[in-house]
Amino acid sequence: MNEIKLTLNGVAVAGAEGQTILEIARAHGVDIPTLCHDERVEIYGACGLCAVEAEGSPRLLRACSTMAADGMVIHTDTGRVRQNRKTALELLLSDHTGDCAPPCTLACPAQTDCQGYVGLIANGQYEEAYRLIMEKVPLPASIGRVCPHPCEDACRRRWVEEPVSVAALKQFAGDLALRQAPAEPETAPPTGQSAAVVGGGPGGLTAAYFLRLQGHAVTVYDAMPRMGGMLRYGIPEYRLPKAVLQEEIDRIERMGVTFRNNVKVGREVTLEHLRATYDAVVVAVGAWTSIPLGCPGEDLSGVLGGIDFLRDAAGFALSGRKVAVVGGGNTAMDAGRTAVRLGAEVWNLYRRTQNEMPAEAIEIAEAEEEGVVFKNLVSPLEILGDNGTVKAVRLQVMELGEPDASGRRSPVPLPGREEILEVDTVIVAIGQRPDTAGFEDIRRSKRGTLIADEHTFRTNLDGVFAVGDAANQGADIAITAIGEARRAAEAAGRYLRGEAPEDRTPYWVKTEPGAEDYAGREKRARVHRPRRGAEERRKDFLEVHGGFSGESAAREASRCLECGCLDYFECRLIRYANQYAVQPEKYKGRMHRRAVEDDIPEIRRAPDKCVLCGLCVRLCEETVGAGVLGFVGRGFDTVVSPAGDREECASCGRCADICPTGALLRADAKRAPGGKVEF
Amino acid sequence: MRVTVGKGSCGIAAGASEIWERLRAGLRESGIDCAVAVTGCIGMCYLEPVVNIEDGAETLTFVKVDAGAADEILKRLRGEENDAARYAIRPEDVRLLHSQRRIALRNCGVIDPECIDEYIAREGYAAIETCVRSLTPEAVIEEIKTSGLSGRGGAGFPTWFKWDAARRSPGGPKYIICNADEGDPGAFMDRAVIEGDPHAVIEGMMIAAYAVGSGEGIVYVRAEYPLAIVRLEHALKQARERGLLGDSLFGSGFGFDIRIKAGAGAFVCGEETALIASLEGERGMPRLKPPFPAQKGYRGKPSNINNVETYANVPWILRNGGAAFAAMGTEHSKGTKVFALTGKIAKGGLIEVPMGKTIREIVSGEGGGIKDGKAFKAVQMGGPSGGCIPEALADTQIDYRSLAATGAIMGSGGMVVMDESTCMVDMARFFLDFTCKESCGKCPHCRIGTRRMLEILERVCAGEGREGDIELLEELAGQIRDGSLCQLGMTAPNPVLTTLRYFRHEYEDHIRHKRCTARQCKPLLTYAIDGEKCTGCTLCARQCPGRAITGQVRKPHEIDMSKCVKCGKCADVCRFDAVEVN
Repeated sequence: MNEIKLTLNGVAVAGAEGQTILEIARAHGVDIPTLCHDERVEIYGACGLCAVEAEGSPRLLRACSTMAADGMVIHTDTGRVRQNRKTALELLLSDHTGDCAPPCTLACPAQTDCQGYVGLIANGQYEEAYRLIMEKVPLPASIGRVCPHPCEDACRRRWVEEPVSVAALKQFAGDLALRQAPAEPETAPPTGQSAAVVGGGPGGLTAAYFLRLQGHAVTVYDAMPRMGGMLRYGIPEYRLPKAVLQEEIDRIERMGVTFRNNVKVGREVTLEHLRATYDAVVVAVGAWTSIPLGCPGEDLSGVLGGIDFLRDAAGFALSGRKVAVVGGGNTAMDAGRTAVRLGAEVWNLYRRTQNEMPAEAIEIAEAEEEGVVFKNLVSPLEILGDNGTVKAVRLQVMELGEPDASGRRSPVPLPGREEILEVDTVIVAIGQRPDTAGFEDIRRSKRGTLIADEHTFRTNLDGVFAVGDAANQGADIAITAIGEARRAAEAAGRYLRGEAPEDRTPYWVKTEPGAEDYAGREKRARVHRPRRGAEERRKDFLEVHGGFSGESAAREASRCLECGCLDYFECRLIRYANQYAVQPEKYKGRMHRRAVEDDIPEIRRAPDKCVLCGLCVRLCEETVGAGVLGFVGRGFDTVVSPAGDREECASCGRCADICPTGALLRADAKRAPGGKVEF
Repeated sequence: MRVTVGKGSCGIAAGASEIWERLRAGLRESGIDCAVAVTGCIGMCYLEPVVNIEDGAETLTFVKVDAGAADEILKRLRGEENDAARYAIRPEDVRLLHSQRRIALRNCGVIDPECIDEYIAREGYAAIETCVRSLTPEAVIEEIKTSGLSGRGGAGFPTWFKWDAARRSPGGPKYIICNADEGDPGAFMDRAVIEGDPHAVIEGMMIAAYAVGSGEGIVYVRAEYPLAIVRLEHALKQARERGLLGDSLFGSGFGFDIRIKAGAGAFVCGEETALIASLEGERGMPRLKPPFPAQKGYRGKPSNINNVETYANVPWILRNGGAAFAAMGTEHSKGTKVFALTGKIAKGGLIEVPMGKTIREIVSGEGGGIKDGKAFKAVQMGGPSGGCIPEALADTQIDYRSLAATGAIMGSGGMVVMDESTCMVDMARFFLDFTCKESCGKCPHCRIGTRRMLEILERVCAGEGREGDIELLEELAGQIRDGSLCQLGMTAPNPVLTTLRYFRHEYEDHIRHKRCTARQCKPLLTYAIDGEKCTGCTLCARQCPGRAITGQVRKPHEIDMSKCVKCGKCADVCRFDAVEVN
């Protein structure tokens, strides 16, 4: 074999005569994309993704099929090449139907692979499920208990009967991991760089976890005596036992994260000092200041902020007291139910109705069961006092008017209609805002939050990132802070490695089905976690809900409809689509709508995901020698189908294995989370 | 005396078979001993059916012959008083025939394609005999090189080079393939040649076989050409019977035979690698080049592929010398070229002219100008792979390079003539619709890209074009050209690109002003009745399918555009020219 010399992206390389450009490029570590090329079958040259430029050739060359020649000067990554590849991908995606990611994952602010871990639990692969969750959420047992689970709201099983209990399954996997203590997550070798995380709540702990995984030395500073933030000080024991939270926090500490409690920035230490001491700083201080009602009497003794009450709940003796809790969110429910447990008679005051409450339905229902009296359509006008202490609340009666910006009907006062409610304690739980004292150098929004880039979480200060309730949009649910913290940790990692920030929104192929698409599906009742009776539970702080048994977890997990493409983690199309930052919307036009077929034994065939690379057709004919598959039709309507002799099919499944997308899958395929595709 | 009836597909479609029967029966009844012969298409499709009477030195040609005309011709043949002269070809049509230079078409419409003796009588099979008896294969290739003959299928690649490459390629057996998969809309050159002079193609293939060193030939002809297949089969049978095909031809060691493969009508099978795949029983999808067919073609063996017209020129070149052929044409394009004139042309049909003529000369000369006295707007050259050439550039010479410079191509010879009533956006849409459907589906750029371009053109024609559509078309066109494997995809955007180049304002009119100046795009049209001209005859109102026209008898009518379905019926039926279309 004669040696040939050529120039590849400006580098002199050698190859052998008879080698293709692609072979030589791969041998020299130059990645050229292709969907239709595979060494097991003859060269074909369909997809066009392997296009490269050769000096002196006016045309783009297909690297998979062009023999390299001595003296060739090849460029594999020019603007023209990238544009042509991108167009090919965009055209393919303009007629590609499916769901790369399941709706649960898309709805999760942390992009947890819900379908993945639910599937693993269904398989009995509990540890794998736990590890998959940990790729996105380092506090699964805690979050599984408290998360308002937007994933379940998006679950398409809701159109059949009820969503899959995604959150409870997360709790199951998390609890099991605490009991069985699998191997600790492996951290990368030390980088010699350090990061400070300010705030030890869900956001701060998550940031610490992912920064530590990267091999950085991480110290978490928190103003409170213990780590956990709102998970510890805002969520009552009956929803999240402190012991469970502590175990998950301990796991992070065992990775080598240093915790420093009772240190508040602006009090014991300055941001300036942290910046000088550490290579990067992530600010995740949360929102700890209760928003006041703004009505007369708020300064009376007996008026408390919701968060302040929950933080010190154990210190209040409310036996025989009459408590009004103002607000309709989860904090209001937590405060009301905690007050009940402390022996109080509790009224919830809300200016709209229960239908409009932002709190979770189950929280409202359980609060009601436990004896919280819901007084809807009232708004405090004044807190009346006697000798400086609360004695009653004067209420304005409301009615529902037109929908507001949030889509909820807005409350409108009914003139002249007032009520007096006699209480001795008022808990104001209408929202929280961050206390950003000590962070004056960071630019802040009008609402008082720290301004950070929505993709990279960079602030105006070099090396300082901000996430969670203290940043941007303000207070939100824990999983949102967790999602932001993981992405901020990645962004901080890039910053520490001196890489440019990445601020792209990933591309996913999505469908938008409706209830009608799920009509006639077999119904299978949702499995609920065991729950203690209201009369019993209102007397103590023991956990309201139990966890799933292995049997019930498997039963519940098997209800998953597997909406997300089962080939997602191996799919070359979606990987390239994101590498090339595709925007297929401009080519929006007719799309095929073809049914998923099972016309090949043991194979699930989704024609609408086929890119017509012909790998299956060629492999079946050339290697297997069966020739079951063939091309049918012409032009835009060309399709691969079992055009040949189906009797020949040996059900070997190799067509599915070689398929670069999810168009051909083995019938028993499971969504295989490999984490190879990172969004 | 000899009577012939033109029975190419075009003649038959115009009723030539009935005329032929009528003449035969009439002569038989009259007891006149005169055979009624058959011939192929002379090219004057607009005059079919055509009947020739050769009487001594005199040849009379009758055109548009119907039953009545046939009876008059019969009267004339019987020596009775007759009115046949009414059907005689007009002198200007004769002149147009004589202004051509017919090489590939030399026998078409002249000889009986089903009679090998008539071909032989016009020096048929003399060229191959000379080659075998007295020329080396190298000398034959040299002669073709001298002639400057290049591939008439469209690409214009030098014929000698292909032959030489196939000859030099190691291995065998080698194959001679004739591409008769003529697929361009409006093109029928190859069909006419096979139907009218099949032996010329056979002899051309034989000469190629001798030069390349092949013993087997295949004609890949589309199944939609049944008459061509029948005539070719017949010709092959006759040639075998005469010992012109088979082993040891002309007493030499050279043997050659030809078989026919009927193609299923996929346009892409005209692409040589897809044609080979189809011959091998595979789906007709283009393959990668290199290797070229001359290296690894049919069954992986060296193969030479030329198109029908190319082969038909070959015997003439060998008989008259390459230099005689090269004497015609331009510096870069030698010889003649056959064109199929269609569209808004007065005299549609098949013509053969020397390279170097201008488009205008052809349109106004052989084509007889534009139909109905309308204004000449453009020609589409080269079918769906070609491009349009506007009237302003009609003085461009027929020459591979000159045509390419306009953005069009020579192509296989389809020349679709357009007048002022042709909407260029709609025209581009038509051709793209064709390529889109005919894409083999292999490359995403072509399979989906042409579809997306078509969708953009469809919405532009429907009055739903958006700002940015022109740019999107241009972007896609460039990417499809860059990303497609074969010529079908690479050239598919050409009709759009050339119309954008020369008629961009029409696209802008459609998109920005929702206006189709050619009045072709129905969704963009509005109809109104001119009250001055309308007599209130009610005809339009009665014909209107949407009941959009109202008015009292003998009073001007009105059109309610909200009900109008834009069928155009009112304008068609109005006898007072009162319907205004805008």
